[in-house]
Amino acid sequence: MKAIIENLMNGIIKSNPVLVLLLGLCPTLAVSTSIDNAFGMTAAVLFVLISSNIIVSLIRKFTPERVRIPVFIVIIATLVTIVDLSMQAFLPALSKSLGIFIPLIVVNCIILGRAEAFASKNKLPNSIMDALGMGIGFGIAITIISFFRQVIGTGDLTIFDIKILQVPGLIDNPMSIFILPMGAFLVVSILIATLRYTGVINSG
Amino acid sequence: MIKNNIKQEIIPVAFLTIVVCASVILLSLTNDITSENIEKAKNEAVKSMLNEQFPSMDDYSYYEKSDTYTVFSNDKIVGYAFMANANGYGGSIEILVALENTLLTEDDIVIHGISVISHSETPGLGERIVETVFSSQFNGITTDEVALKDNGGKIDAISGATISSSAVVEAVYKNALEKAKEIRENKDLNFDEGS
Amino acid sequence: MDNLFAIFISMALINNLVLSKFLGLCPFFGVSKKLSNAISMGLAVIMVMMAASIVSWFLYFHLLIPFGIGYMSTVIFILVIASLVQILELTIRRTNVTLYNSLGIYLPLITTNCAVLGITFINVRTGYNLIETIVSALGAGVGFTLVLAIMSGIRERLELADIPESFKGIPVAFLVAMMLGICFIAFSGMV
Repeated sequence: MKAIIENLMNGIIKSNPVLVLLLGLCPTLAVSTSIDNAFGMTAAVLFVLISSNIIVSLIRKFTPERVRIPVFIVIIATLVTIVDLSMQAFLPALSKSLGIFIPLIVVNCIILGRAEAFASKNKLPNSIMDALGMGIGFGIAITIISFFRQVIGTGDLTIFDIKILQVPGLIDNPMSIFILPMGAFLVVSILIATLRYTGVINSG
Repeated sequence: MIKNNIKQEIIPVAFLTIVVCASVILLSLTNDITSENIEKAKNEAVKSMLNEQFPSMDDYSYYEKSDTYTVFSNDKIVGYAFMANANGYGGSIEILVALENTLLTEDDIVIHGISVISHSETPGLGERIVETVFSSQFNGITTDEVALKDNGGKIDAISGATISSSAVVEAVYKNALEKAKEIRENKDLNFDEGS
Repeated sequence: MDNLFAIFISMALINNLVLSKFLGLCPFFGVSKKLSNAISMGLAVIMVMMAASIVSWFLYFHLLIPFGIGYMSTVIFILVIASLVQILELTIRRTNVTLYNSLGIYLPLITTNCAVLGITFINVRTGYNLIETIVSALGAGVGFTLVLAIMSGIRERLELADIPESFKGIPVAFLVAMMLGICFIAFSGMV
């Protein structure tokens, strides 16, 4: 039981996939322009991550060594296509906003990485917890980054059309660089450095 | 010995094949379930796009042959619209081009307006084609005037985003001419409010 | 011809895959410590990108769409890439063992390089014809290699610089990427 909880907590802070393992950077930087996007992306990644870990763990004893990676890739690609089609059908606005980064979840190193490094070698309950933890860790990281980019870059904190606050000075003159690609690099850089400095995470 | 080797070769490939087949089955199932909703979502999107250009719209018809929309208000045609695709910087730019209903009565092809539906242009630069400042330049001009000011037309390009701007201009011009011709040739089709 | 040139410049510089589209970041930060490695990696990526783009273009427009199974594109494209990388790996192992050894694990990792899968999607979604697809893939690969090379050159120097402990490694690399990105914005003035 303790081991299972540990698997869960592992992904959230100690081995946070984005901030410590430095995986899944592409979608994190690209999609973190708004908190809505961050939530949407996290939901998609969580679904694929948990499902793929479940499937990989279940078939781990039957999977021939040689075709391991292609098999994992097909499983992940299938799950991602399911998410892609479902989003287009039921959440079209989000699908448009996340754009090609939905299908790109296929090559999100987090998912293939966990399938390869963990689920293929561990029992089902542990694999599920690992996926959950990694997914939550990813979600936390991308949400924090989006928060900063959205607030400083547009001055407006609106989540799912609920206006929460509008920073007086920034709403008229937002620091747009934060919304631009380079702003993403800046925010992540400072975030990781700060977390390391305060000891929350260890340097890789 | 040989039998074992063949077995070793075949089993991994067979496994992979089974996985791929399972994938195909699963995906076609998903496709069946979702395709209807995807169509519906697209139609909703079209309706709101047309409404934006023609606020008085209460009905529209889609003509597959010419791939155009005819917009009605109080059973009268208020305009036509179609999707145009431009090759911008970052990829395809989808533009809704709306034409005035004077198409069939006058020689000139007058643009009612354009809306940029989707694009992957650079934020802060090419992305600004979505701004009204740029798109409203197309309101009410004839196709002869659809060109960048540098080329004798009426459209001011967005500074620093000449490719994005000219991509839009080119696509609007080409497609307006093409679609207007098709609509004019299918006069009957367009007066038939049936389907 | 004008159009092809514009596509090339766009993919290589203005909409650089790494700096403005955020594709291909993992190898960007992982491999790029030695200039020679960066260049070899870049060349390998260019080859895979072009081959993958061509093959996936054919499959998409002549197989998937006509048969109405466009939704299989994700699965098919990634399998194409995985196979091409395998072939590339075998070829390099046979012809140049030192190169193979120095690239190490980064070679099979080209499969999970979002830039490669990303460019195949960009090409079909934009609806480029075959020539445009080839040029686009070439431009994207060249841009990727360029940025990778610049980055590795800078990082070689950074190794010797005095950097605060918390910034060592990825954070400072990101700051460099940010500045590179800002510089690359200047290219949009080319058009």
